[in-house]
Amino acid sequence: MSESVEERHEMRIESEDDITLVRRKVRDLAATCHFDIFLGAAVTTAASELARNVWVHAGHGVAVIERLTDDVRQGVRVEFRDEGPGIADLDRVLAGGYSTANSMGLGLSGSRRLVDEFSIDSAPGRGTRVTFVKWTPF
Amino acid sequence: MTGPIPILRVGRVLLATIQTELRDNVANAFQQDVLLALERGAMAGLVIDISGLETVDTYVARVLADTGRMAKLMGVETVLVGMRPEIAATLVRMGYAMEGVQTALNLQEGLAALRKKPREE
Amino acid sequence: MDHRRYMKVLKLDEAEVASRRAFFELTDEDLSRLAALRPFAEKVTDAIVEDFYKLLLGHRETKKFFPDEATVRRVKKTQRDYFLGLFNGKCDLAYVEDRLRVGTAHQRIGLSTKWYLGAYRKYMQLICDHLFEELRDQDKVRDAFASIQKLVYFDVVLATDTYLAANIDAIERHQAAIRELSTPVIRVHDRILLLPLVGSIDSHRANQVMDNVLLKVSEAQAKCIIIDIAGVPVVDTKVADNLVKTTAAVRLLGAETILTGITAQVARTIIQLGVDISAMHTLSRLAEGIELALSLVGKSIQSSARRPTRRNKRKTVRT
Repeated sequence: MSESVEERHEMRIESEDDITLVRRKVRDLAATCHFDIFLGAAVTTAASELARNVWVHAGHGVAVIERLTDDVRQGVRVEFRDEGPGIADLDRVLAGGYSTANSMGLGLSGSRRLVDEFSIDSAPGRGTRVTFVKWTPF
Repeated sequence: MTGPIPILRVGRVLLATIQTELRDNVANAFQQDVLLALERGAMAGLVIDISGLETVDTYVARVLADTGRMAKLMGVETVLVGMRPEIAATLVRMGYAMEGVQTALNLQEGLAALRKKPREE
Repeated sequence: MDHRRYMKVLKLDEAEVASRRAFFELTDEDLSRLAALRPFAEKVTDAIVEDFYKLLLGHRETKKFFPDEATVRRVKKTQRDYFLGLFNGKCDLAYVEDRLRVGTAHQRIGLSTKWYLGAYRKYMQLICDHLFEELRDQDKVRDAFASIQKLVYFDVVLATDTYLAANIDAIERHQAAIRELSTPVIRVHDRILLLPLVGSIDSHRANQVMDNVLLKVSEAQAKCIIIDIAGVPVVDTKVADNLVKTTAAVRLLGAETILTGITAQVARTIIQLGVDISAMHTLSRLAEGIELALSLVGKSIQSSARRPTRRNKRKTVRT
């Protein structure tokens, strides 16, 4: 019921290399939480997808990566923020049936299936903010 | 060879081992190297070893699938070998089917699979 | 298990508290009335606590939970705080957390529900008696008692919750242990694995099955894994979907999955998923699955029939 942030890292996404750095940081935090390789792969892949979305579609943005505990479980929360073009028709993109030349759709809907909590706020002209959390099992 | 991904000829099969992050320029160079090698002709197959990859997101999956498609256009079958269990689980859970890509457990199985396929003329 | 985890297990959040308050018709007016009764409460609390423990200490089965003077003194103090807590004028998450802490302590010492909940009867009796004595005005007594009763029943439900949560926790731990024991992957032949699934499969276990299958196939470099589901009582669409996903993931590794123990019901469930099953190997009998697996790795079972009259036919595996 009460989440607390044990660690917090803010990283800029400005180049393709930054995607790798974000991925590594997420992987490190997952290891600290004692995620097994399957949980680790899930959270790292979701982060990689969304970081790449930021770079490809907005050119630059921010990732806030946190390690959480809530008395019982440990978790990793990642938030991506950008001032990019935003997503029109968000519902359709999340349903996964949308494919642009860069297919952001599959990455977004796919990532959502890999995590426990997922929220997205995006609209044309308003940029995008995506947050997800992955926990150790109850 | 232009990129950091090593590509070897093993008999009439090309073996590529991917152990680094697949960034855009690395991926492009890789595909170019593969096509050049296939152009030289008389190749019966392409094996891509991904046992060194810790993360495969949809970008990497697409690069691999595209490489396979390019090879096929040149008449050569591709086999992906060494996928880690957590990567297979993640791709499937994402809903990414990785269609049209043949897979095998390891290099030995991959070569055996290629031998079974008739070479496209 | 501590009280915060109880709140998580019972999903006791703001919305739940609001829902319970509404059901008990516990309004802000009630809470204000209770807060206004604080002076009354402080006046009668000692007497109520004394009489309350006269019952508990006078009854053989409950006396044993209060073995010495120090314990009695301690619980009397706790009880006093508990009683006064009814008159704080609050019924929010903090209040709930506080009540659960007390309830947890009782549950932990092994006090069974019949005594713990049964004692509330005495509580209400004592409160009622003192209300009549102190307030005189019939209407005031009736209103006061109504408000107190609402909050006390609210507390009784919370007390029940602590026992419920403790049981849920024990069950979960046992289930986890059972799961560990019940996904054994067996190597039946050189490159062939067998996983006999037994027992019900929830989504958590289904994920574990997929992970375990992939790990074992990769470790053993097995060409084939047979998953027998004859021992799974219910295969709903979630389980079927997970089996289909597992098959797809095993294929990504470069191996094959054979599903056996498929009943007509299960076959229907899988078809209803609408996925492409043309590439899936599904059979009804495990024995058929083993034969298919052997053929996939280039082997077969053959009877040796050289001298059938003198020897029993022996089955050998021939490459």
